[in-house]
Amino acid sequence: MTGIAELLEAPGAAIEAEDDFDAVNALVRERGWGDGLPIVPPTAERVRGMLAYCDRPLDEPVAKIAPRYGEATPLRLAANAVMAGCEPRYFPLLQLAIEAMCEEPFNLYAVQATTHLCAPLVIVNGPVARELDINSGHNAFGPGHRANATIGRAIRLALLNIGGATPGSGDMSTFGAPSKYSYLAAENEAESPWEPLHVERGFPAETSTVTVVGAECPHNVNDHESLSAEGILTTIAGTMGIAGANDVFYTAQPVVVMAPEHAATVASGGFSKTDAKRFLQEHANLPVGKFSKENIERRLRVTWKERYANAGMDALVYTVQKPEDIILVVIGGAGKHSAYIPTFGATRSVTHALKRRDGQHARSMEDFRRP
Amino acid sequence: MAELRKRGLVTAVVCSDPFLALGKNQARVFGVPDLPLVVIPHPLGGLALEAVKERAAVATPRLIELVKERRA
Repeated sequence: MTGIAELLEAPGAAIEAEDDFDAVNALVRERGWGDGLPIVPPTAERVRGMLAYCDRPLDEPVAKIAPRYGEATPLRLAANAVMAGCEPRYFPLLQLAIEAMCEEPFNLYAVQATTHLCAPLVIVNGPVARELDINSGHNAFGPGHRANATIGRAIRLALLNIGGATPGSGDMSTFGAPSKYSYLAAENEAESPWEPLHVERGFPAETSTVTVVGAECPHNVNDHESLSAEGILTTIAGTMGIAGANDVFYTAQPVVVMAPEHAATVASGGFSKTDAKRFLQEHANLPVGKFSKENIERRLRVTWKERYANAGMDALVYTVQKPEDIILVVIGGAGKHSAYIPTFGATRSVTHALKRRDGQHARSMEDFRRP
Repeated sequence: MAELRKRGLVTAVVCSDPFLALGKNQARVFGVPDLPLVVIPHPLGGLALEAVKERAAVATPRLIELVKERRA
């Protein structure tokens, strides 16, 4: 394995800069790197420290990041992790998330370059979420936890600096979104009445995974009144039936996040996860007549030709085509809320398990520590 | 499109002006920096037929040029 000192000797691998926080940040701005926030200067020493938890060859790409298809080597990822403020033990999760979003079904090129405002949402499951103190409770999608904030930010910096998702020339998002700074949370497995997402997807409970979704920001579903499973699910489904979401025009996999209180009410009504998804799929809809004339003619009657070519204004258009495509997770703290997270549509979620280099499931981040 | 270009076929990517930088970047990434980009006024989508015809009127002469260049 090539050492860091040797790798940094390669042309273009490192740059000289004044050893000063402001000077380094001025250089970063001048070069057009980063997300606009100040960065931690990625000195050779800090990058070496970040790679203390990397068991891969430092110069072998783990993925190529669209739209530039830049090679995401551990060395480059580590520089971005330093800039984002990560702790070294977070590093394997950054690498895993990047690998997952570079899988073909995720369609990262389109997620990065589209005019839509999607960003890769990362949902973490399994024991490392607790080990790294990844927030799954109050404000899980918001500020306050270093792991959520900095792993998510490191992902974005890698998408920008390695992937070339520069606003206006590699990322054409009309609006962008706050989720493009950082978008990572853990599932609140301890307070979920159901099996967690990774178990549902066939992984043992003791493994750790990331699931990536090309998603919008969460849209809140407030229901302080319903006392039954059907009541909560009706409110969520009512929120999902909207004409402007990409999901209705694709075989999409939107995310439904239930905070523990809503999840408990739904489960107490005897609903399994599968039952809840079936209910949501059946009830998350809106009539053709809610779409504009042009969208009916140019989209619905074309995209779903067999169903809507001759459909009347009362025919129902479903947000999700198959119940199993709804990604149902329990995240959040106290409060009678859920969230609907629409997606880019032309993307499939990908789940990857955290594995050591020898292919075995990692039990802890300590499995990655270099001797 | 890049593959077709590499095989010597007449190729062009039609893009609206705000997407020119993305188009140039992607042509470089895929190894065809000389890929012709036929630029039309934005937007490309959400247009009535008349506006589509206006954009076709901009793009068509350039496409004819490309075919003629190839034949020459």
